Amino acid sequence: MTRILLKNRLDDCIVAWRSAGFSVLAPVKRSDLSRFDEVESSAEMALDLVLTERTIKDHFFPQTEPLIKYRIKKHEIDSQEMLPPDGKRVFFGVRPCDASGLAIDDPLFGWDYKDEYWFKRRDNAVIVTIACTASDDFCMCTSVKLAPDSAKGSDVLLRPLQGGNGWQVEALSDRGNALLEPISSILQDSTDAPAPTVSVPVRFDVDKVMEWLADPASFESHFWKEISLRCIGCGSCTFLCPTCHCFDIQDEGDTYTGIRRKNWDSCSFAMFTMHTSGHNPRNTQSTRWRQRIMHKFNYYRGKFGVNSCSGCGRCTRQCPVDMGITETLQAITNLPK
Amino acid sequence: MGLQEQYRSEAAGLLSSGAVKLVIGYSAGSTPDRRRPVFVRTPEEAERLVLDGACVANLSTYLVTEGLLSDGKSVALFLKPDGVRSVNILAAEAQVNPEQVVIFGFEIENGQVKPLEGRKASDFTPVIEAAKTAGLSPELQKESERLDQMSASERFEFWKEQFAKCIKCYACRQVCPMCYCRRCIVDVNQPQWVNTSSHTLGNFEWNIVRAFHLAGRCVACGGCDRSCPVNIPLRLINHRMAKEVLDAFDYYAGESTDQKPVLATFRQDDPETFIL
Repeated sequence: MTRILLKNRLDDCIVAWRSAGFSVLAPVKRSDLSRFDEVESSAEMALDLVLTERTIKDHFFPQTEPLIKYRIKKHEIDSQEMLPPDGKRVFFGVRPCDASGLAIDDPLFGWDYKDEYWFKRRDNAVIVTIACTASDDFCMCTSVKLAPDSAKGSDVLLRPLQGGNGWQVEALSDRGNALLEPISSILQDSTDAPAPTVSVPVRFDVDKVMEWLADPASFESHFWKEISLRCIGCGSCTFLCPTCHCFDIQDEGDTYTGIRRKNWDSCSFAMFTMHTSGHNPRNTQSTRWRQRIMHKFNYYRGKFGVNSCSGCGRCTRQCPVDMGITETLQAITNLPK
Repeated sequence: MGLQEQYRSEAAGLLSSGAVKLVIGYSAGSTPDRRRPVFVRTPEEAERLVLDGACVANLSTYLVTEGLLSDGKSVALFLKPDGVRSVNILAAEAQVNPEQVVIFGFEIENGQVKPLEGRKASDFTPVIEAAKTAGLSPELQKESERLDQMSASERFEFWKEQFAKCIKCYACRQVCPMCYCRRCIVDVNQPQWVNTSSHTLGNFEWNIVRAFHLAGRCVACGGCDRSCPVNIPLRLINHRMAKEVLDAFDYYAGESTDQKPVLATFRQDDPETFIL
């Protein structure tokens, strides 16, 4: 016997959560783009998508975010923090890879300095994940040792029922349990079996990749030049990545007043490591692509014990020149010993 | 022998004779319907070249890779007429010496590739003239007219909604053969002329800068539109610019290697309707 949520009761859940003070965000297709956005009814949701084009990271680490307002006076500086709003949010219908992405980034944002902007949003969010019963040619969660039903980063895990009429419901955290309270009368007990999760092929050997990357000789390997020849140096892969987290601080305003903002930055950009002197330690696209791969599968793991990739495959799916992590890691897997 | 095999063997020949140092073409991609750019340097590697109806990317963007042509050696590449037009513009703007560019020309008609005669940019002038006579894309014109019929405020709302999606990944810039500035104006930061923030204002700034700089230079290859990860219909902006210069100055970008850039030249009889 498990608890289930029937699809035809989803609107009741939305009403219950909204009256409990949550805003509900779900996958939607708006202005020809799939992403997470606020909904008021289940009809607005696009739950059949394998994956939204944008990630839920956007709602925790926005592409541009005001940090402080400032005003420079004659003898002092007035400043005012601009923290994100307090509202509680439910993210309904998240995919396991996107939910994992949040958990992967938590240690980074909480490391030497606790990033209030990230954690305020994290603390006020409940992640309701739906296990995947479909995948596409780019999904690679199993290659990074996650799965189409990974619980990582999720507060509630829903498994689609065999009949397609609802989901088996499992709370995974206190926040998840608390979220189920206002809908306890909507959930039912049932013996309905969940549908099998999709089988996602393992596309590369991540252990071999990590071993090769950790070998100092690999850093200067000709491999990087060859694999990144066609990279055009845009930031599409990094900006669509659920774990990429680099940012740049910019002051916007005039000489005396302005807003300090945290803006996404990308290691793919030529400007990313440009020094004031004009010297750029990563002055070619191959050194930038190497940085991206090394950061995700070597340095990040060294610091936080986890790879900075949740296997969503967006980097390849959306790449203008059909590059991506999968191809590079497959090529490393196939390197002669 | 199909066109793919013919070009493969010709590419291998050019490489083995040393006539070119590199062939930029298409190869199989990560899924059966995808093609990706490939850089072929040895005759043996020519086997990797693929040519079919899925080969749509304008590869001329790689010609402006820093240092690629600085040794004076030649490069061969697979180009549709739009790509040849890009080469013409790059030559006219003194970015590329067309003598260093060998072209494997092709067209896609109903999903099938057709060969185009010639190996030098100037050989394709008749094809480009015919394209100019045939006019701008009727599909784009139709889409564009829908926008023209809106009121100014409706149109502004339309673009605001579209630009709000922009994440400033600059895929549109990076994929474009016309965006060859070593340091784009939006990356100039001493001072920072253009906001780096990807808020609606910053996104407007970027997209307007991009549109202005492509007026009379865009060849409608569609690369930016296909590359945009957030599906902004950039084709409509480019089309409008192309239509403006065609109607006002009978100017079709990339007709020849010595065509003067439309915004850098004038004729005595140019219309002056914009002067009040």
